[in-house]
Amino acid sequence: MSSPGADLPYWTALAQGVLKLPRCGGCSRWQWPAVWRCGECSSWEQEWQQVEPRGTVYSWTRTCHPFASEDLPPPYVTLLVELPQAGKIRLLGLLDPAEAKPWIGAAVVGAPGATRIGGRDIPALRWRLDG
Amino acid sequence: MASPFASGGIAVAGIGLRQYKRGQAPLPERGVLVRAICDACADAGLPTTEIDGFVSYGDDRNEPVRLMPDLGMRELCWSGAVWGGGGGGIAAAFGQAAAAIASGQATAVIVFRALVQSDSGRLSGAVMQHHLNDHLLGAGLVAPAQLCALRARRMFECHSVPLSTVEELVRVSYHHGARNPQATSYGHELDVEAYRSARWIAEPFRLYDCSRENDGAGALLLVSADRARDLRRKPVYLLGVAQGTARGWGDLLENDEDYASAGFRPVAERLWQQSGLKPEDIEVAQVYENFSAQGVASLIDHGFCTYENVAEFVRFDNLIAPSGKLPLNTAGGNFAEGFVHGIGLAVEAVRQLRGESSNPVPGAKTCLLAGGPGAPTVSSAIFGTEY
Repeated sequence: MSSPGADLPYWTALAQGVLKLPRCGGCSRWQWPAVWRCGECSSWEQEWQQVEPRGTVYSWTRTCHPFASEDLPPPYVTLLVELPQAGKIRLLGLLDPAEAKPWIGAAVVGAPGATRIGGRDIPALRWRLDG
Repeated sequence: MASPFASGGIAVAGIGLRQYKRGQAPLPERGVLVRAICDACADAGLPTTEIDGFVSYGDDRNEPVRLMPDLGMRELCWSGAVWGGGGGGIAAAFGQAAAAIASGQATAVIVFRALVQSDSGRLSGAVMQHHLNDHLLGAGLVAPAQLCALRARRMFECHSVPLSTVEELVRVSYHHGARNPQATSYGHELDVEAYRSARWIAEPFRLYDCSRENDGAGALLLVSADRARDLRRKPVYLLGVAQGTARGWGDLLENDEDYASAGFRPVAERLWQQSGLKPEDIEVAQVYENFSAQGVASLIDHGFCTYENVAEFVRFDNLIAPSGKLPLNTAGGNFAEGFVHGIGLAVEAVRQLRGESSNPVPGAKTCLLAGGPGAPTVSSAIFGTEY
């Protein structure tokens, strides 16, 4: 659907079961979406650091209308998760199991996995409520 | 250089809107668009041969040069589009047309949007195609409703915006639509119980929190104010327009800073500064509501109310014509008049200021047009009867 850009290392790492996120080599700022060049300090050095996939729910929605392909029947829950250990970068992902009831601020832990949609298996974080 | 807005330099001289049920347009997309453009020119009393420019938005697929044969145009001098896949660019299209006319690069510019499902598919799919990537797909996000739902939840839960506000907003659109013979909802008031119990689409949105699409096309003819005064209709002047995106907002994989907002705050500030007007000076408003919560967020961003007093402002009585403080979406808006990617809102702004609305606001001199909320690039404009 979309060809990777500056975020190619994210996809490569995720496919290998690891979450990596970019941090500027010049000013140490966490970057997301990934960039080629830091607009703050002009550095072209982006360091991809391994990050533990833990965070808190920033927002969430339960999709009930069959928008997606047959691979992903509703209802399912999408989370937007804030990662305090990575500059509060927010990452998207599905919540497992689909009937779980999240809330804003809930602690979640993610695992690299895949989401099948449109006949493709897309590397993706799959989240669970922590505890 | 003097602002062409301050001197009333640019005017809308003609309008045309053709709207059909989704999948039921009598012609393919370009044919419907040509009809709307001919309507706008007939309204103005300007031959289509005089058109020399076009602007659209939202990834419209009708390249202006292809319209020339049907319109008998002599020369195309300006051909532009606002970047972005959503309705955020609708008001910015008027800014482009104004720039073309004020700088002498074109003299008669059509702002248009056309959408016929058999040609361009579903609008929601087309908008989303513009943004889709594997980050969204892997999270099951394939429709604008889902992204706006994530933002709406933050607005409700983290900024204390009461759920009652979105219900009031939807009721207002249907109240006006029920009284507009051209509206899809003509004759049908919103049944509040049906609203509250409608099926979930993407929580917290139920069915009637979401706009639904129509086939159709809209066209507005812009010319210099001097020229407009020689045409058939009372000119409606463009008093200001602002578009853009502030740092911390954009296509940021849901990392926008003011996440629960509609993205308008900095753009609205520029609009007020540029026009010398304030929210209190606006007498009627056409505010793009793709989803109910985003319509409320747009009103907050524009400064009509705040998170603290939104429930006092976004009330049915306060927003209906003719008696409300700010009659809103007086043709029914995207929810109830119909949804051709928001172009109907611009047409209604002009109808209202000409005194031709089905829900008139007598004596209204200013009308705000706010584009698609929550889009990476947003835009707003003010139209007026005088300057």
